[in-house]
Amino acid sequence: MTTTTTPSPAATTTAAHTENVSKVYGAGDTLVTALDNVSVSFERSKFTAIMGPSGSGKSTLMHCVAGLDTINSGRIFIGDVDLSGLNDKQLTRLRRDTIGFVFQAFNLVPTLTALENITLPMDLAGRAPDQEWLDTIISTVGLGDRLSHRPSELSGGQQQRVAAARALASQPAIIFADEPTGNLDSRSGSEILDFMRAAVDKFSQTIVMVTHDPLAASYADRVVFLADGKVVDDMQSPTTDSVIDRMKSFGA
Amino acid sequence: MLKVTLRGLMAHKVRLIATAISVLLGVAFMSGTQVLTSSVSASFDKVFSDVYASIDVVVRSTNKIETPFGSQRTRISESVIPTVSGVAGVEAAEGQVVGQIKVLGKDNKPLVATQGPPNFGLNWLTSPSLNGWTVIDGTAPTGATDIVLDAKTAKDGDFAIGDTVNVSVTKGVQSFSLVGIAKFGKLETWGGAQSALFSTSTIQALVGEPGMYDWISIAGRNGESQTQLQEAVATAIPSGTEAITGKEFTAESQDAFQKIIGIFSTFLLVFALIALFVGSFIIYNTFSIIVAQRTKELALLRALGASRSQILRSIVLEALFVGLGASIIGVGFGVLLAIGLNKLMQSIGFSGPDTPIVIPPVAIAVSIMVGTIITLVSAVFPAKRAATVPPIAAMRDVAVDRTGASKRRVGMGIVLLALGAFMLWYGLNGKSDSALQIIGGGAFFVFIALTVIGPVIATPFASVLGWPLQKSSRITGRLARENAMRNPRRTSTTASALMIGIGLVGFIAVTAQSIKVSTVDAINQSVTGQYVVTTDSFGSTALPESMANDLNAVPGVQTAAGISGTFANIKGSSKVLLAVDPPAINQVIKFTDVQGSFADLGIGQIAASEKLAKDKNLAIGDPISAQFLQGGPTTLELTSIYKTEFPMQGPGWIISTDEFNSVVPPSQQTYSAIYIKLKDTSSAGVTAALPGLQAVTDTVPGAKLQNLTEYKKAQTDQVNQFLQIVYVLLALALVIAIVGVVNTLLLSVYERTRELGLLRAVGMSRRQVRSTIRLESVIISLMGTLIGLVIGIVFGWALVTALADQGITSFAIPWTQLVIIVIIAILAGVGAALYPARRAARLDVLQAISSE
Repeated sequence: MTTTTTPSPAATTTAAHTENVSKVYGAGDTLVTALDNVSVSFERSKFTAIMGPSGSGKSTLMHCVAGLDTINSGRIFIGDVDLSGLNDKQLTRLRRDTIGFVFQAFNLVPTLTALENITLPMDLAGRAPDQEWLDTIISTVGLGDRLSHRPSELSGGQQQRVAAARALASQPAIIFADEPTGNLDSRSGSEILDFMRAAVDKFSQTIVMVTHDPLAASYADRVVFLADGKVVDDMQSPTTDSVIDRMKSFGA
Repeated sequence: MLKVTLRGLMAHKVRLIATAISVLLGVAFMSGTQVLTSSVSASFDKVFSDVYASIDVVVRSTNKIETPFGSQRTRISESVIPTVSGVAGVEAAEGQVVGQIKVLGKDNKPLVATQGPPNFGLNWLTSPSLNGWTVIDGTAPTGATDIVLDAKTAKDGDFAIGDTVNVSVTKGVQSFSLVGIAKFGKLETWGGAQSALFSTSTIQALVGEPGMYDWISIAGRNGESQTQLQEAVATAIPSGTEAITGKEFTAESQDAFQKIIGIFSTFLLVFALIALFVGSFIIYNTFSIIVAQRTKELALLRALGASRSQILRSIVLEALFVGLGASIIGVGFGVLLAIGLNKLMQSIGFSGPDTPIVIPPVAIAVSIMVGTIITLVSAVFPAKRAATVPPIAAMRDVAVDRTGASKRRVGMGIVLLALGAFMLWYGLNGKSDSALQIIGGGAFFVFIALTVIGPVIATPFASVLGWPLQKSSRITGRLARENAMRNPRRTSTTASALMIGIGLVGFIAVTAQSIKVSTVDAINQSVTGQYVVTTDSFGSTALPESMANDLNAVPGVQTAAGISGTFANIKGSSKVLLAVDPPAINQVIKFTDVQGSFADLGIGQIAASEKLAKDKNLAIGDPISAQFLQGGPTTLELTSIYKTEFPMQGPGWIISTDEFNSVVPPSQQTYSAIYIKLKDTSSAGVTAALPGLQAVTDTVPGAKLQNLTEYKKAQTDQVNQFLQIVYVLLALALVIAIVGVVNTLLLSVYERTRELGLLRAVGMSRRQVRSTIRLESVIISLMGTLIGLVIGIVFGWALVTALADQGITSFAIPWTQLVIIVIIAILAGVGAALYPARRAARLDVLQAISSE
């Protein structure tokens, strides 16, 4: 990475953090403030959930931190790299090499096999995957016999597990998951969440997950609550019930 | 539903652009060439009616020989003039002499090129009611050395009254003195031709015969119709002559010209139809893709109660709007194209004066109809597929292309292929009159068959072609290969459009190469001379027979022997007939006796080639009836059946030069080529003879001296010229095919928005996105090109085999050209991907992953 940044005190303990990030859409009367002076840190080797009612800015925050969207003011760091100084090429390389993604749907390239989807970021980088690590992930995610199948031959739960395996395979500094269980039944959903929990516990992976499901949030170490573009609460060791209670107070 | 259709049109207008472009280009070319040929032909109609305006009745010989350039007639004697002058109602009667002469510029080179307008020598008519010419400077020609030029020629040659003007005719170069400059009516020229006017006896001596005219023009007194006058004249004239009205005479000239224009027009039309045929693939593909992309929308309409026929109608209506709109715009472009080409033709002097643009309503209507119908027909199959979308599809994921190796598809393809192959075989080997149409139909079916089988072979083909890409370009190659394979019907239809164009290019290239190799082989095997003198002119302006004597007199020359050609009616039909001096010609070109003696061919005798004798069942001693321009019908005796490798024009009739000179007028006694054999054939000898030969050649304007290598090159250059014209015309079909590739890629990029977004999100760089699209484009292009080339080679081989007895003895594949075509195809593929790849790379990642 070619960018330099002022080392912040938190640099050694956080995988990513934002400093006074604001983002607005539109102008004049139609001006919408999606993020309003947000400063938040995501610790290394922790599983953080971002929650909030619809329109609270939770997805926008994740997209901005992941380098998929731009901000109007403030700074965003992945590790100690300041994203605002990066052009498209550098952002692409950052996503490829240091970030993993799990989306709600359409996570896989339909023309590639499950295994090829898992190794895609490394193939794009032109580097060989760490075979031992790959075997570990594949056995953890439990896809051994379906690796040569195309996404269309996999169930929704299997597709999301492939996506999660892909996010892990390149050993990224941080994984962003955007409603990863949103399209799944509760059993498949809990399989994915178990897997992500295991990735944090066993492999010290950092995961940031956007969700509106209190059950999903209960798998996390910490929940950050957003409302109207602001961080309104921060909950450690959440449970389903405590999250539901907190959400109720938003009227959502 | 109309509202839905219109909304649909607006919503998909970008996607319909390719359809519109392919229809538009084809229709523009089709209507443009029609407008152009109509305009040229209308302008020449006017030229003929202008130049013959003063003529009420024409009297001429009944003896004629049809040639591809109109009919030639025996001249009529001046003795007929007093007879017709005496007929009641005749105001004036004068003989007209028209011959070809070349006016030389001050540099002693012909003023007009061979491909330029015609150049005439005419006699100056004295009666004011028949003479359309007016002297604007100087006087009319009266003396034996007087010449009058039309105003344009005088201007072009920078001639002033009193200047010496040289002209080239059979007798060689002759000098005249410019006594006058004339206009024809208000025009500077005689219908665009280059004209030189002489006194009657002078021009008769130059290009005709003393006391003989090409025809007699008659002007009537006022008050009598042309028909009345023609009837009166007809009763008075001797047998062997006929009287026709001026109108009929004009119409004959117009018809002869129309025929030539007609051939030209049909030739261009064929390429317009090829372009439209290629365009139909693009239309089919666009509608297929649009229907596939709209599956959910259509299903929703069905779920809301739209009937199948309503869906079908809405798609067909959409096609109708697009087809009709594009066709009308296409016609507009066509007219502009015609205006442009017309200006171009005028600027190079290849047209009548101030040709106005004539827009033929029928041709325009047909062009619009063809464009619209092709669009409709191409959209019907996708529309039918749209109509079968079940309402439930609205609730399902977007359907995937299920076309694969269905047995029905393969079966139908094989049946069509067999039908096409049979038609090709029958057309090439049968003796049918409509062989060309049958061959064309066969080729059409082969193309259709391959299109039907296309989706079956597309996947393995893309897999094989993509394999090296995957090895070299890793993940981008792998994705490109998979993308090309994922939608076999789309890939194959796109490739098919290219296949047709490339197939025809390959076919023409192979055929042309075979002709070139065969020609060079034939010359190598038959010509034993070292030099050849040729000319682009024919008839009275070709090489004078005396030139052979002059060449024979050059030191070092062993023999100089010429070949002449003329049209004659032989055994009742008009044929090209060659004339040679048998003992001399055998020194420069090998003729082998099969029966009889070629070397002894003399007066009253004729020789036939072995093939001709076999085809017509001729034997030595057979009487052959013949009619030449000069003299009555005669019977020649077949005294020789010969064999030669020499590439000759005509069916193979040969007479001796002596016989030739007795049947054509002296002004036509010329050679079209003279072959020269040297005493010393070593390279030193060949070089030494050159200055002497060149000196003689320089005395005849338009003559060209070539050594054997140059001669062979000149012969193959003719083929190359034709090849270039065909390539230019086929380029349109190829451009349309490339538009199709661009279109397919664009629609695919649109369809894969989310996938591309995902790839970009997980770390694919813009460069890698572009590279993937580019490689996919190259795979599609290569597929069309390679299949096309295979078909082209097979078609070429079939034609060459069928033409083996026409002198095309070698089958040759121009490998270098084919490799160049493949390289161009790869570059075209890269080019076609430029815009779609940029679009794909520019996709906003966030929008792409969150798009529906």
